[in-house]
Amino acid sequence: MLTNHRELLVRFQSLIALTLMVLALSLLSDTFLTPENGWNILRQISVNLCLSLGMTLIILAGGIDLSVGAILALSGAVAAGLLKNGVAVTPLEVQLQFTVFGAIVAGLLTGAAAGCFNGWVITQFRLPPFVATLGMFSIARGLTMLWTGGFPITGLGSDFGFLGTGVFLGIPMPVWISGALVGALVVLTRRTRFGRYIYAVGGNERAALLTGLPVNRIKLGVYTLGGLLAGAAGLIVTARLDSAQPNAGLGYELDSIAAVVIGGTSLSGGRGSVVGTVLGCLIIGVLNNGLFLLNVSPFWQQVVKGFVILAAVAIDKMSSRET
Amino acid sequence: MAGRRRWITGTTAAAGTAVLLYFLPLFHVVPLEQAGQRAAAAAYDPVAFVERFWTGQLIPGAARAVDAAELVAAVQQDRQLARETHGRRVGLGGAYYYFIAGSGRVVAVDRNSVGLALCDDQQQVQVLLEAGPIFGNAVRDGTGLLDVNDFANSQDFNALAAEINRRIEQQVLPALRTGAVIGATVRFVGCAEILDEDTDLSPLRIVPFLVETP
Repeated sequence: MLTNHRELLVRFQSLIALTLMVLALSLLSDTFLTPENGWNILRQISVNLCLSLGMTLIILAGGIDLSVGAILALSGAVAAGLLKNGVAVTPLEVQLQFTVFGAIVAGLLTGAAAGCFNGWVITQFRLPPFVATLGMFSIARGLTMLWTGGFPITGLGSDFGFLGTGVFLGIPMPVWISGALVGALVVLTRRTRFGRYIYAVGGNERAALLTGLPVNRIKLGVYTLGGLLAGAAGLIVTARLDSAQPNAGLGYELDSIAAVVIGGTSLSGGRGSVVGTVLGCLIIGVLNNGLFLLNVSPFWQQVVKGFVILAAVAIDKMSSRET
Repeated sequence: MAGRRRWITGTTAAAGTAVLLYFLPLFHVVPLEQAGQRAAAAAYDPVAFVERFWTGQLIPGAARAVDAAELVAAVQQDRQLARETHGRRVGLGGAYYYFIAGSGRVVAVDRNSVGLALCDDQQQVQVLLEAGPIFGNAVRDGTGLLDVNDFANSQDFNALAAEINRRIEQQVLPALRTGAVIGATVRFVGCAEILDEDTDLSPLRIVPFLVETP
């Protein structure tokens, strides 16, 4: 009986933590539990949610990606640059002026290509994901600086800005986008063969290989999806700011890893869920928002966030030891 | 059978993509020359902007400036009240600005400034008109005619300050330097940036953008 209670506690740790935080903040702040603040939190977490969804797949498959923040910046910069300046094809004396749709596709493809490169390096050269994605972190940051010249690309127009600042049926567009991605990834992980393979590879890569699963292809797919989702996050950030900042997304990889871990996904792979990551993002978002409303210094917010991450990992370690 | 199905799937996907791209093209192809003309027209040009701003807003806006003698008297009486009544603060910084017009008698001249006394019986320098190289954002931020939110980025906004200062140096200050002789009356419109009340208010240091000398 006691074990059952403990199992339930471990299983619903994120939900319990989130509920307790919401209850406490509702009592401490008059403005916390209002619809406006609720939408505000959802809008604020949408970028981290996009990144964390990709990170969830990667961590579930037993990997890690330290380059998502840099890929976010590169994707946003590529989309903004193509939309603002187009591409001159000098030999033909023409210029390709990208539409908003074209810029979005280019941004997503950039993210996917960077992610695919990560996967290729990891599977072909057997590099530890930590090292391979650290390399991509530097490559993507450098490419972003080269593409932008170190300056922000601004004035992208209201059509593109709608992605980040628009509201559809009373719901902010970033919330629509991240919500749709959550739905798609829940289906992917729970209802598709590819989703089950991700768990299998992360749970025991050697066993997955011996049972005939195309482990390399699965890893390649997972990192490509991670890059694609980082690209989507880059588009939202760029559209929200109406500007592609060369140093956008600095430190975002750590926030996304934190959200995944707080959401109960095991860092050793094979265990966790997309819904858990959504809860992890909500916990971080509510924590940031609540501490801000309570006038707690941003420096203390970082300290608190650090302790929350440590607690989440410690609980994960204890529960995996027991099982 | 599997090959046939794959062929059908591939063809359907290609046709779907083609239809999608027909209605939602990724890009338009335009001649390079036409694209260059469009880009030039859309590009931000601080020189052209300041040219329009100068004649269209800045000179007509001089009517809004507070009288220098009135301001000096107000500052002498109560700095805080003068700041609240006539001053203008931008952002969260400690600096604030005055938009000032007036006339005074030249009582001191050096390489980089012209000192004015505002009343006939006064021999002390009450206002110091900058006459050397101009730095800072006094005129850009002091008039209240320009809003940073109307600009795409801070570089554009900073370029504006640099261009206003350059224009003052080239078009306003030469006349001030030649016309400012001891005893002459100088009419001016300009802005003062107050960073430190103890040093910047007495005398009041003004960057003039309009100067009339005898």
